[in-house]
Amino acid sequence: METRALHKRYGDKEALRGVGLAVRPGEMFGFVGANGAGKTTTMRIVMGVLEADSGEVLWQGRPMTFEDRRGFGYMPEERGLYQKMRVAEQIEYFGRLHGMSPAAARTATHDLLERLGLSERAGDPIEALSLGNQQRVQLAVALVHDPTLLILDEPFSGLDPIAVDTLAGVLAERRAAGVPVIFSSHQLDLVEQMCDSVGIISAGRMVAAGPVDEVRAREGRRQLKVVVRGAGPGWADDLPAEITHQNGVHVLRAAEADDQAILRAAMSAGTVEHFGWEQPTLTEIFREAVA
Amino acid sequence: MNDILLVARREIGVRARTKGFLISLAVSAVLVAALAMLPKLFAGNDSYDVGLVGSDSLRTAATTAATAQKVDLSFTPLPDEAAARTALLAGDIDAAVLDGRALLADGAVDRRLGVILQAGHTSVKTQEQLRAAGLDPAKVTEAMRVAPLTEQSVSPLRGDSSVRSGFAMLIVFVLFFLLMSSVTAVAMGVVEEKGSRIVELILTSIRPWQLLAGKILGLGVLGLVNLGVIIVAGLSAGVATGLTADLPDGVAGIVAGAVVWFLLGYAFFAVLAAGFGSLVSRQEEVGGVLTPLTTLLMAVYLVAFYAVAEPTGPLARVLSLVPPFSSMVMPVRMAATEVQLWELAVAAVAMLAAVAAVLAAGARIYRRAVLRTGARIRLTEVLR
Repeated sequence: METRALHKRYGDKEALRGVGLAVRPGEMFGFVGANGAGKTTTMRIVMGVLEADSGEVLWQGRPMTFEDRRGFGYMPEERGLYQKMRVAEQIEYFGRLHGMSPAAARTATHDLLERLGLSERAGDPIEALSLGNQQRVQLAVALVHDPTLLILDEPFSGLDPIAVDTLAGVLAERRAAGVPVIFSSHQLDLVEQMCDSVGIISAGRMVAAGPVDEVRAREGRRQLKVVVRGAGPGWADDLPAEITHQNGVHVLRAAEADDQAILRAAMSAGTVEHFGWEQPTLTEIFREAVA
Repeated sequence: MNDILLVARREIGVRARTKGFLISLAVSAVLVAALAMLPKLFAGNDSYDVGLVGSDSLRTAATTAATAQKVDLSFTPLPDEAAARTALLAGDIDAAVLDGRALLADGAVDRRLGVILQAGHTSVKTQEQLRAAGLDPAKVTEAMRVAPLTEQSVSPLRGDSSVRSGFAMLIVFVLFFLLMSSVTAVAMGVVEEKGSRIVELILTSIRPWQLLAGKILGLGVLGLVNLGVIIVAGLSAGVATGLTADLPDGVAGIVAGAVVWFLLGYAFFAVLAAGFGSLVSRQEEVGGVLTPLTTLLMAVYLVAFYAVAEPTGPLARVLSLVPPFSSMVMPVRMAATEVQLWELAVAAVAMLAAVAAVLAAGARIYRRAVLRTGARIRLTEVLR
């Protein structure tokens, strides 16, 4: 799945200014960005719920069609279920809408409810469920037809840690089955753990995108960190680094530098307790990118 | 097509389970049955028990008069006035005649029974007085026997005109009730899906017009079921009270016509309701956004109501051809008077054309508005 140069304008506000992203089969793509950066707009355009002003959405290298989208699984930002409909009935209904036979929809619903720990609630109306359980049903609705692509807008928000684990497990299964998965989230640590690649969007533009390790290791973003105890003042004045001092411990941070030279200087100045290159966390990259 | 049926089935399955639907079904059936029985209830009894004290010369003459009025009389001989009073107070008899002298009742005598008994009494006394005057009662009766004026309708209409207009009134009432409730249900359903954003999910797998068609079809089937229940309830009540005997010819045709006109009217108003409904995102706003539509429906209702009183007047004749008025005025005219075939054809073609036009506009509004949540959308924004 690929988007190219998506533009979208709401009145005076430019929501998307040329968003391009690509997700390959079996890849999990984390979509991060501040509120209002354009994540939901992009996802809605991919799902065909919204029309882009310009740009294109490709599926298997050709423009995406309605029939392609019928095979996708979607979890919109604002959850929507029929409140009065029963849990199993509802999941089956959506399976049928995606073109499943009655028997296949029933079997898939049964299996999903079991997987999500909702079997006992199958006959309850949605409105009788807690919000967390409603969210599980929403997920089941996105998964019931064995989708060829998964697009989930903030699937983890409002879930307890157990539910987060379940959801992460389910998504990993789909990825292992070769399904591309895109989800947006504000929980960057989760994205870091789960995703193969990540895209950071800011004010309608992709500011960073690619495999998580690559984005983190990208030139100029790693930092050397050295911790020295018992060093005298001014030992590092000539080094291209920032120094902080607390309780007799010096912490030195440097961007690209001659790490061996710094190590030698540190060892002659005091006891080196820590020495190593550190990759920034997604959170740090995100802050930097959005700033 | 499968997707439309799928949506329709869901509408039927979910709504048929709701208390609201079942209650409205029961209430409408009971109400219509009661209305169908009303004429007979007001008409009073058609069998009476009369106590006779002393002479029972009244019996034959009163029975003849009663038969002419399609009323059953039975007589109970009583020993004396005291027994008659007791039986009256106990409600065992409806009236008592004392030896050709007095008529006793608990309160006023039932009007119909009074007329019958007085006629019988007059007949008996006339014969006695004729005999006393030396005349032969048989000859006098012979001389007084006159064939009544034959009654003829100048139109092919037969049956009681008050029954006809009562029947037409019932049709207006039922059509209005059903149109109003089904049309509101369509709008509420649209807003439910829009407000909860379910529509966003559904429209990734089916087209807007399929969702719209399925919803209108499903709720239409429920409306039709309700209409069927009402017809069965009304006709059963009519049979039970013997009212159907007075119904005009071609009841089946009139009822079938009412069903067809209901479907046309429903299609017209439901598509508009879906279009209007899709402009708002909250259930509380449905009433407001539907106001133009409910006002129109109300106007149609009032015209149809007026047409019941004057089914042959110019207003009824003209508006029975004009959509959407035809959807209620035409069935009224069909029930209350004779409608020319060409009128029916013109009305049907015009209504079908109106439904097609509304379908195009309503579907367009719906398609453009249903995914735009938030503040109410102006009609001009989506029609451009």
